Amino acid sequence: MWDGIFTGLTTAVAPFNIMMVVVGCFCGTFIGMLPGLGPISAVALMIPITYGLDPSSGIILMAGVYYGAVFGGSTSSILINAPGCSSTVVTAFDGYPMAQQGQAGKALALAAYCSFTGGTIGAIILLVAAPALATVSLSFQSSDYFALMVLGLSAVAAFSGKGQVLKALLMTIFGLMIATIGTDVIYGIPRFTFGNLDLIDGISFLLLAMATFALAEVVMTVLKGEHKEDDVPMDMSSLGSMKLSKEEVKHVAPTAGRSSLFGFLVGVLPGAGATIAAFLAYGVERNLAPRAIKDKFGKGALRGLAAPEAANNAASTGSFVPLLTLGIPGSGTTAIMLGALIAYGIQPGPRLFVDNPEVFWSVIISMYFGNIVLLILNLPLIPYISRLLIIPRPILIPLILFFSITGVYLVSFNSFDIELMVLITVVAIFLRLLSFPMAPMLLGFILGGMMETNLSRALIISDGSLAFLWERPLTALIMSIAIIALLLPILGRYIGLKRFSADSLVVADKGEG
Amino acid sequence: MTLNKDHIGGLIFLTISVVYGYYAYDIRMFPGDQFAPFNAQTLPIALAWVGGLVSLVMVATAGRSEEPNPNLAQLNFLLVGKLMLLVWLFAQALSWIGFLASTILFLIVGYWILGERNPRTLFLASVPFAVGFWLLLAKVLDIYLAPGKFWQMVLGA
Repeated sequence: MWDGIFTGLTTAVAPFNIMMVVVGCFCGTFIGMLPGLGPISAVALMIPITYGLDPSSGIILMAGVYYGAVFGGSTSSILINAPGCSSTVVTAFDGYPMAQQGQAGKALALAAYCSFTGGTIGAIILLVAAPALATVSLSFQSSDYFALMVLGLSAVAAFSGKGQVLKALLMTIFGLMIATIGTDVIYGIPRFTFGNLDLIDGISFLLLAMATFALAEVVMTVLKGEHKEDDVPMDMSSLGSMKLSKEEVKHVAPTAGRSSLFGFLVGVLPGAGATIAAFLAYGVERNLAPRAIKDKFGKGALRGLAAPEAANNAASTGSFVPLLTLGIPGSGTTAIMLGALIAYGIQPGPRLFVDNPEVFWSVIISMYFGNIVLLILNLPLIPYISRLLIIPRPILIPLILFFSITGVYLVSFNSFDIELMVLITVVAIFLRLLSFPMAPMLLGFILGGMMETNLSRALIISDGSLAFLWERPLTALIMSIAIIALLLPILGRYIGLKRFSADSLVVADKGEG
Repeated sequence: MTLNKDHIGGLIFLTISVVYGYYAYDIRMFPGDQFAPFNAQTLPIALAWVGGLVSLVMVATAGRSEEPNPNLAQLNFLLVGKLMLLVWLFAQALSWIGFLASTILFLIVGYWILGERNPRTLFLASVPFAVGFWLLLAKVLDIYLAPGKFWQMVLGA
């Protein structure tokens, strides 16, 4: 393990990779600040750039963008009450009232410190937990993998919130269906190509991610007429002091610690992600607070800001555990990273730890660097980065559209891909209007190929019998958890757990981290 | 009975599952594959059945949905249609007039569609950006960008 950490450290401290972290955090913060564009869009927009880099640098860049986007989302939540992504919605509950009270600087600093705490604690646990889990998962067989993928996909549906379970399930199935378009990887038979040569390689995940997130989110802004709305102009002089007193630090320290641990654990669960972690941490902290402080929640309570910020960053780190150790993404953003790793020819999962230790460890170590960069570089620059948001929307929107489409075009140099993007974006907009979440579709699409391969192996080994699902205890256990995860929201309605899947937990879109 | 969002969504996915299932049974296989425990049709057929089943459950339980239907009158479909048409035209223009000219036109028309009318802004936010981006791709990153059929015909290059 120490050899691996050393290899990772050597890779992560290479000047070019440090530059990637800095650039990633900076770009991520800027994109994350734009209302409507979340970490998924930010990471998706970076993918074409990463194709020219080696795998470690590419993934380090994307991890930096991920952190930066979450931090950027918090900034717009605090300054203009417009969360950049769903995981920072809770940040606005107490962050924006603080900004209105002339304490925007303090709120931003507190958000940065708590994000740093959450990210640091998360990275330390990841350092220990990931290799341990990877060692255990080396003994997994194809049936276990198939069961794990079913668990991952059903957990996404289970955590999708009130009234969204069936929709998330349908979108997952839709993603799996799209994944079957193109040449079958096992038999080499074209499926659903309708004789079109452009579809013979299937639909690229980059195209799907760009069309359903980056492009669709921008188009939704236009559809709702939000492109005409001007954000509240940010006055740098009104940000106030960024310093926290000793008493304030003492007041929020236990909250940050608790929420970080809690956030990490929630983040590890496939499908749960940063949004649920932030909402739950806020709820837990509110319940734990004494009466006098509880009343301040929603009106500018320091703890109310510290809890979601620590939790969402720790959860972002936690979501890397299933990605790096099992090859199963824990969130929409890590699903995109999984796709990028596969494009590099790297198969995430237990073998990653053995076959590509430099990728495995450098990602973990660069996450920590990412937190430091956010704290020492981004925080002082926030007033200046925020100024970029003054760019009028009629100028910004065509530019984002341009980057989204050229990002796809410059990989394939095939204009058919742009036409397909238009079609997919139109479908995505209609599905969004019908409140169908996009992240489960992307997860289903990315896991589709691996799921089919593992299912085919398991079925061939068991000679076509479905008994492989219950004959091996581990497979049976994972399948049982998957079934429970699916039944939980339904049972919840009858046994009074309704509050758990509150409206606020709708992870539907908005770039769920 | 009024159709709500869930009814419509369920029915759309039911249609998708039926059509997908129809073509799934149509996937060609190598001789003997139909007797194999797993073949090219296995997963698509399973997905079609599961998708159809979940869609039916959704349609059946849609009446309980408390979600309000979207107010379509407030949505600007015309503007979105124009933007999507612009993206489609950009795809066509790439092979005819090349990357640089397509980008300049895309940006100018995009800004115009979204309400920007100042000629100075239209020019400054498109031409320098497009030229800079083209230089970055073609000269710095050494990416080959085809000049476009139109220029080849005119200049005979």
